[in-house]
Amino acid sequence: MGDVSDRIGRPTDNGQIGIIDPECRLIGLHLYDGLFKVIPFDNKGQLKEAFNIRLEELQVLDIKFLYGCSKPTIVVLYQDNKDARHVKTYEVSLKDKDFVEGPWSQNNLDNGAALLIPVPPPLCGVLIIGEETIVYCSANAFKAIPIKPSITRAYGRVDSDGSRYLLGDYNGLLQLLVITHEKEKVTGLKIELLGETSIASTISYLDNAVVYIGSSYGDSQLIKLNMHPDAKGSYVEVLERYVNLGPIVDFCVVDLERQGQGQVVTCSGAYKDGSLRVVRNGIGINEQASVELQGIKGMWSLRSSTEDAFDTFLVVSFISETRILAMNMEDELEETEIEGFCSEVQTLFCHDAVYNQLVQVTSSSVRLVSSITRELRNEWNAPAGYSINVATANATQVLLATGGGHLVYLEIGDGVLTEVKHSQLEYEVSCLDINPIGENPSYSQLAVVGMWTDISVRLFSLPDLNLITKEPLGGEIIPRSVLLCAFEGISYLLCALGDGHLLNFLLNTTTGELTDRKKISLGTQPITLRTFSSKNTTYVFAASDRPTVIYSSNKKLLYSNVNLKEVSHMCPFNTAAFPDSLAIAKEGELTIGTIDDIQKLHIRSILLGEQPRRICHQEQSRTFAICSVKYNQSGGDESEMHVIRLLDDQTFDFISTYPLDTFEYGCSILSCSFSDDSSVYYCVGTAYGRILVFMVEDGKLQLIAEKETKGAVYSLNAFNGKLLAAINQKIQLYKWMLRDDGSRELQSECGHHGHILALYVQTRGDFIVVGDLMKSISLLIYKHEEGAIEERARDYNANWMSAVEILDDDVYLGAENSFNIFTVRKNSEGATDEERGRLDVVGEYHLGEFINRFRHGSLVMRLPDSDVGQIPTVIFGSVNGVIGVIASLPHEQYVFLEKLQTSLRKVIKGVGGLSHEHWRSFNNEKKTVEAKNFLDGDLIESFLDLNRSKMDEIAKQMGVSVEELCKRVEDLTRLH
Amino acid sequence: MWREIGDREAGKIRPNAFANRFKRNRIESLQLSNHKDIVSAHRGSINSLQVDLTEGRYLLSGASDASVAAYDVQRPTEYEGNGIIGKHKCLFVVDRTHESGHQYAVSSAVWYPIDTGLFVTGSYDYHINVWDTNTTQVVTNFKMPGKVYKTAMSSLATSHMLIAAGTEDVQVRLCDIASGALAHTLSGHRDGVMTVEWSSSSEWVLVTGGCDGAIRFWDIRRAGCFLVLDQSQSQLGRRPPILDRSATNKVSSSKSSSPSPNLPVKARAAQRKLSNGSSMKQSPIAKIPAKGPLRQRLHPGMLSAQDRATAHYGAVTGLKVTEDGMHLLSAGSDSRLRLWDVESGRNTLVNFETVRLQTSKPMQLATSQNSALVFVPCMTTVKAFDMWSGRTDLTFRGHYECVNCCYFSFQDQELYTGGNDRQILVWSPSRLVYDEMDEGPHQDQDNWSD
Repeated sequence: MGDVSDRIGRPTDNGQIGIIDPECRLIGLHLYDGLFKVIPFDNKGQLKEAFNIRLEELQVLDIKFLYGCSKPTIVVLYQDNKDARHVKTYEVSLKDKDFVEGPWSQNNLDNGAALLIPVPPPLCGVLIIGEETIVYCSANAFKAIPIKPSITRAYGRVDSDGSRYLLGDYNGLLQLLVITHEKEKVTGLKIELLGETSIASTISYLDNAVVYIGSSYGDSQLIKLNMHPDAKGSYVEVLERYVNLGPIVDFCVVDLERQGQGQVVTCSGAYKDGSLRVVRNGIGINEQASVELQGIKGMWSLRSSTEDAFDTFLVVSFISETRILAMNMEDELEETEIEGFCSEVQTLFCHDAVYNQLVQVTSSSVRLVSSITRELRNEWNAPAGYSINVATANATQVLLATGGGHLVYLEIGDGVLTEVKHSQLEYEVSCLDINPIGENPSYSQLAVVGMWTDISVRLFSLPDLNLITKEPLGGEIIPRSVLLCAFEGISYLLCALGDGHLLNFLLNTTTGELTDRKKISLGTQPITLRTFSSKNTTYVFAASDRPTVIYSSNKKLLYSNVNLKEVSHMCPFNTAAFPDSLAIAKEGELTIGTIDDIQKLHIRSILLGEQPRRICHQEQSRTFAICSVKYNQSGGDESEMHVIRLLDDQTFDFISTYPLDTFEYGCSILSCSFSDDSSVYYCVGTAYGRILVFMVEDGKLQLIAEKETKGAVYSLNAFNGKLLAAINQKIQLYKWMLRDDGSRELQSECGHHGHILALYVQTRGDFIVVGDLMKSISLLIYKHEEGAIEERARDYNANWMSAVEILDDDVYLGAENSFNIFTVRKNSEGATDEERGRLDVVGEYHLGEFINRFRHGSLVMRLPDSDVGQIPTVIFGSVNGVIGVIASLPHEQYVFLEKLQTSLRKVIKGVGGLSHEHWRSFNNEKKTVEAKNFLDGDLIESFLDLNRSKMDEIAKQMGVSVEELCKRVEDLTRLH
Repeated sequence: MWREIGDREAGKIRPNAFANRFKRNRIESLQLSNHKDIVSAHRGSINSLQVDLTEGRYLLSGASDASVAAYDVQRPTEYEGNGIIGKHKCLFVVDRTHESGHQYAVSSAVWYPIDTGLFVTGSYDYHINVWDTNTTQVVTNFKMPGKVYKTAMSSLATSHMLIAAGTEDVQVRLCDIASGALAHTLSGHRDGVMTVEWSSSSEWVLVTGGCDGAIRFWDIRRAGCFLVLDQSQSQLGRRPPILDRSATNKVSSSKSSSPSPNLPVKARAAQRKLSNGSSMKQSPIAKIPAKGPLRQRLHPGMLSAQDRATAHYGAVTGLKVTEDGMHLLSAGSDSRLRLWDVESGRNTLVNFETVRLQTSKPMQLATSQNSALVFVPCMTTVKAFDMWSGRTDLTFRGHYECVNCCYFSFQDQELYTGGNDRQILVWSPSRLVYDEMDEGPHQDQDNWSD
């Protein structure tokens, strides 16, 4: 590993090029204009010392190594000062550390030539892809064909002999280029259109006509190339899509379901692959039916026979009765009866049993009922004077506990219940489980019991009820629910406490040993654990004030919150009418619903076929408005159409469209109201120099007022009941005036000059924070008395801004052109005018992402009672499609986590051994300084992935227990 | 402009390419500023201008009336013309009346590169003063054997605090701020040294231009200069072609290159010594003594034809190393401007359309971002030449007398020029100024796109 950066030279505008000689003799790098860096390999494959070769061609567009050359040979595509494009070849002489003129060159190519494809042996040579021609060029051949004008962005080689290539252009058209040849002599080129894909950034031909299309403008795709075209003449069949949010040019945070949880709606994609994406955290429940039912104490689903694939009955238990619901012939849920069940008392547990039987456990007895006749077949009564407190069962076993710590184990036979074992424990039992996790799905070899008083969980073997393991839990909170479960072949014991904490252990099913104890907090109320299946995978549902689904991925337990407020009980209810459904008891309501795919983030795509540029939501009209560009190509003529569209915020259908003029980009959009006017308006600023004010009437955009401006309106903000616009180098405030005839108009009140381009504006009270194109952040204030806007302070660094946001009264956040973020602070206590007039840089950090937008908000449900709920967060969206969260931590927590980050840096090594510290250093063309006042949450959260010994090591350095550390880091994960 | 911003947002254009394109557009629209006005505090010709390297905020000027002044170029002291024109008055001025002020013309005034706490002035009174900016007191001074023409500090330096000084004397002196003593002298020029310039790629390399017409490169860690530029050494025919150009089989092409005559290969090796970029970072000339005995003979006192080489006929009056460290520009009293390839030391033979240059005084050249343009004082005008073609791109007419110095601010894309007319002029990208109340149908120019 080494550093190949140079002091000398200017970084290339067209991007870095890194190429490897096909015979692995050297690596070539074009990092700086006018220099070609060579890293030779020695014959053992080790890298030798690098050197630079002077490249006279300053405007390099592409460099590739040629195949089949006895010495490493590059081909360079470049542009001269007269904007003509040429290719040239050079041999790299490792001995002289210089170029030797290569075997051929070709001058005056297509003006749009931008891509070189080296052709492997036996043909060799290079393909030069232009906008209007494709040329094959080698030392002894030159072939060209004209193509339809298009810009090729990616290529993929089909055959190893290099006779066929896939080309993808910026409209997403996929073409096949064939080099026809007789033996090694190239005779011509042929091109054929295959069909349309996402706009390709990379094309990888896999095998058997299956191709991966990597896209940075739309979803990536796995496609199949068919032998014969479909009805539309396309050979392309899309097999799979891989979601890509990038480029996120704008987004808004909304709470469409009004649950107190934000969703992000992004403007994603470019050209024809433009889309809106609704990004939601957590798992949603799609409600299908619900009834009002108060005081549910437990729920179980039962089948009408052992062979039945679906559930029929839903047993709902209340404090003094048990009701049974069933699906009737009309697929409706209606109350029914199972004669053998005791329905006058609370049911403690129910389960399907073998031999078409059902088990019901009440406080006095265990009843075995035929599921066919629904009649009682056998009953086991609790000894006189004892009542059953807790019970559990599976298809063949029943385990129950009565007062006094008596544990009774029964086995289920055909019409008989046999008491197999009885044992007395020293304390009362709080919870039990015998969920089978061994090989036999209807019989468990282990029983787990949670205890009062000594606060422990114990493992017993079945059927002899021998104590195998006793695990004290510590603390004073009793276990309220235990569960044996297996994920991805690994057995776990989950134990939920009364205070919303969950402990998990790795369970060795043969020895009963419990290891790797982990404790996390799910909520604040007691948790009830239940397994359920969805798409043939087992999950655990933890019902509490913050319902959570526990699952496993890469042999690691993951916790994903469910978008419901409070769930007291849950049971799977898989019926023919509602397959894979769950019955959920919450807040006096019983709901049947299906569950989303179990994953953390849910993304809904609304493909538009045009590129959305700006979005905003209007609560009152329940609509979104977007500024959007549609790229039309008809007959080679390309035009852009600019529109404002109104969308329904549930269906995302276009409700209304307002066309803008040709070239009139919509630059900014805002939903706001004005003082002395109760209506809510959409305001749109355009690059043409107009502000348009719309009202939504009967689902239509009605133009209410229009104001000409002297320049592009880059930003619009609601400000003190007025409209604040950023117009080129000026900030302008408009009043909403009532004319004599009752109509309304925007009237300019005051403004502020002196920016290069005021691109990004945020306001808070009377303060205005402006992000300038190239002059960092400045703070303005609106003076009511004078009716004037004045500059209060500014950051004198030359940051080229890409987004700003106000974090609090004094601290402002900015993102800049070199993928850094930084914060500045207002210095109102400064001693001199000079100090007060300066925004001090307080935080700096290299994010590695180009941020287009910051918005206040959060993707997770915020519980006001938790510490985490108090931490303000900002969401950002980037060109690469990254959505991230920036949280303002309290000082004490920051100091603690910074220490943790420092410790983690020593333990967790970056990819390729690159230094994390170096990567996160603020870095632009002017300076490189270590990151300050920002922490890398991803690094800190990776603590949870460490093995125990490394965790111990870090905990020791930190001087706190591993449990405490885990808890604090897990708290942090709640922020997103 | 909106289109470019949209393309940057969507990732269609790289952020740095976006910034460079925007800067280029701004530079092309440079004109006498309609919103920034520096109120010159000098009563003599302005000889030196520099904006600080840390914040790009404070302009330092030195003038023939022995005065030095600093201006805040970011924040105007007052406004005129409806708040549109910002007046920048000097923050301080030190002149002859100051207890330790210079007695004669200040020829050079430069900021300490690390922060704005110090600045350095050189004067015709034989002195170099190091000033504390906040107190405007001299903290150190150095006495030179003659008039000081030029002082320079390396903006890259992390391990030294040396002021390089060119004076009437033949020796170039290095003054150490840290110790307050003369570090050492560089001997080789045969006449006074009008201009000194540190390399922009190595903190150890210094370039000097003398009245003897020579441009010398020094590695200050070693004795003697390691390169003397020769105007007759041009870059023609650098790379030998493969002899058998029509080679159809690869075997013959490879054969033809290896047994190529020894002579050109050696010559190439000699001129490409500095091509090793990675080693250049630490020791640009570390390899040179090892490479051949030829260089050893170039030590001072050991006369050789190369040591006599000249870059200009007459004095070298100005030097400027490009930002990327790959080229050097020189101006001479022969009214020529030359562009040199630093690595090979060759004259690139770019023909700059200079008409006449001031001959009697050192001049301060400037380059634009990306080294695309060079700003040269041409008598009463300043011209911007295209670096690679030598064509005149822009001409700045505004001074009434000869221009001595120009400074280009990379941060703001502004050009500052100072001349014998005692004025400091600001040339900034055009900014459209319109009425506060942007009403009125007559203003229908499409000022939304630059």
